[in-house]
Amino acid sequence: MSKRRRASKVMRLWDWSVPPTGAHREVLSIVPEGWHDQPRATRKPPLLFVHGIAHGAWCWREHWMPAAAERDYPVFALSLRGHGDSGGRKRLGRTLLRHYVHDVMQTIAELPQPPVIVGHSMGALISQLVADRYQPRGLALLTPAPIQGAAYMLPTILRRRPLDAAKVVAGGTLPLRAEQLFVGLDQTTAARYVDRLGRESPWAQYELFVPHRIGPVRAPVLVVGTPDDRVVDVRAVEETARAYDVEPVWLPGIGHDLMLDAGWEKALGVLLDWVDERC
Amino acid sequence: MEDRGAAWAVVGAGPHGLSALKNLLQLGLDADGFERDTDLGGNWNFHAENSRVYESTHLISTKPFTQFPDFPMPDSYPDYPSHWQVHRYFRAYAEHFGLFDHLHFNSEVVGITTADGDRWNVTVCNHESGEEITRQYAGVVIANGHNWWPKIPQYPGQDTFTGEIRHSAHYKSADVVRGKRVLVVGAGNTGCDVAVESAQNAKETYHSTRRGYYYNPKYAFGRPSDQTADLLLALRLPLGLRRVMFKTVLRLTVGDFEKFGLRKPDHEFFETHPIVNQQLVYYVSHGDIQPKPDIERFDGSMVHFADGTSVDIDLVVFCTGYLAHFPFLDDSFLNLEGDHPVLARQIFTPTTPTLVVSGLIQPDSGQWTIAHWQAMLIATYAAVRAQDSATAQRFYDAMVAETGVRFTGGTDYKDSTRHYYEIAHQEYLRAVEDDLQRLESMAPALAR
Repeated sequence: MSKRRRASKVMRLWDWSVPPTGAHREVLSIVPEGWHDQPRATRKPPLLFVHGIAHGAWCWREHWMPAAAERDYPVFALSLRGHGDSGGRKRLGRTLLRHYVHDVMQTIAELPQPPVIVGHSMGALISQLVADRYQPRGLALLTPAPIQGAAYMLPTILRRRPLDAAKVVAGGTLPLRAEQLFVGLDQTTAARYVDRLGRESPWAQYELFVPHRIGPVRAPVLVVGTPDDRVVDVRAVEETARAYDVEPVWLPGIGHDLMLDAGWEKALGVLLDWVDERC
Repeated sequence: MEDRGAAWAVVGAGPHGLSALKNLLQLGLDADGFERDTDLGGNWNFHAENSRVYESTHLISTKPFTQFPDFPMPDSYPDYPSHWQVHRYFRAYAEHFGLFDHLHFNSEVVGITTADGDRWNVTVCNHESGEEITRQYAGVVIANGHNWWPKIPQYPGQDTFTGEIRHSAHYKSADVVRGKRVLVVGAGNTGCDVAVESAQNAKETYHSTRRGYYYNPKYAFGRPSDQTADLLLALRLPLGLRRVMFKTVLRLTVGDFEKFGLRKPDHEFFETHPIVNQQLVYYVSHGDIQPKPDIERFDGSMVHFADGTSVDIDLVVFCTGYLAHFPFLDDSFLNLEGDHPVLARQIFTPTTPTLVVSGLIQPDSGQWTIAHWQAMLIATYAAVRAQDSATAQRFYDAMVAETGVRFTGGTDYKDSTRHYYEIAHQEYLRAVEDDLQRLESMAPALAR
């Protein structure tokens, strides 16, 4: 009998014995008219957007959701617990990544058919953990937090931004500033987005630094990165792509928040063309 | 006759049939699901002829382990959902994964016979048209359940009993016990539910059991008791310590069962299928349920018990369980030992590599997480078979070498028909995961 080579997909002891309790979930959606009446086999698959650290469903609603719906995609975005207009803010200090995975799974179970999961940053890591238990139609990872763990980034963060590092270690939310998230936005717009950022669970942030092992994913995978990302570096994107045996798609000139930054149309185009072709 | 090529047939659209169908389709195979009723859900399809749930049925295990791992029950469901909610959940599952396009309702499988090269001819009778159609399949998954064919005991004088005798299979609500003197036989979870409902509605209620049992509470240590049990397993506490902890909870909350007139359990904790019922002891302690030992004989309207007592009874409800039953298939395919099949992993028939069974398990916890992983193993095996039958055959031979191996978690189950299919859920799942990984390593092309 072969020895177990990877983390167990089957034995989810903590989810069985200490299951996450539910929290109110904000789910934004746009379903193109007539989509429900089209035959299931040929209609466009739903897209489910999963946001990153301190963001919320709103970041997708700004540009991507209406634009994707224009191209006949039914689109859904949830706010993880403690984010956006979802509940669970008071318990944020006790929230783990597996609680976020629970929120995504609950949202998936309400969708009319298996979606293409689109995760951004920490949301990309959550999406991979979801794909470990649920076979999506496709898995798109945008400027992904590294599944191998971000521990290797620590020296750089400590050198460049020692105060930020200290804050995260002490349980504060990783400070995200306009110049880290955006490349081409005017100051007013950028400030408006940064204003909307909320708090993040300290435990979820710690979990970003440890490696996560998942089994093979039976779905097409897209990895998108940008050399101008000041949060997730090139190495993280490359390592994520290598884990799935795919070539990353690079979008120079766009910042970490590629659904909000100037040039979001191009990033969305890459995603939708990939869905059209591969999913 | 239509040849369905590489497609598999799935018999039954209960939870095991549905998850088998879904996983076969997700791995890119073609499959047809056949269901004799007009709707899916099997046992949980309340109005179906062979549904054995009653109006008040709720899950006795909680959501996290009972649900399909890739399709959670909604947060809005309670810890112990009702059978109505369970049925809605199965419909949502079938809807989400597009199973309705592959399900044939009103379609009873009436015959499964071998064809060339381990293929199968499956004859289906359409209940609407009365027409019988035979199609040929690459393989068959039997998922017709083992909790629908009533097991009815025979006692001396039973045929001359002047009251009514009813198996719990035909107990749908408390209406049938109202105002009567009722004897409930059997202390499975159904027996305890019926005894409690009878205590609430009947004139008198007697509860005959073979032995004393542990009546587990639904909550222990501030959480659902099955979650606590899984937590203790997750912490890898040894069996002896887990027994002491659960017995202590019972001791601290209920106390000694004997002081209510219940018998002392003649076995250790975890040695019989768990009974989860908080109300039974309550009604016994209020005198609304009178415990009785085994029945000795019937005489007119009287029932005599092994301890020499006797009572006048209007209605006997036999909650004596069910036996597996495969009316559409020659028994010789199922490696029967007496009246029950002995399989490998409780899935693979040692007789034929393309005839598998899903659902012939009775876990000491929830069911459908295991249904999913059984289905995953079956579907992966079917997919490997379609690509590379020699590899699949090697895997099958390795499985069959382990025919009859049980997964008891170190306990010695009491000898009883109800323990034919009993498994310790964590030990069983670990074995199934090992099998899956072995199969995937034999056929790496499939892993991605």
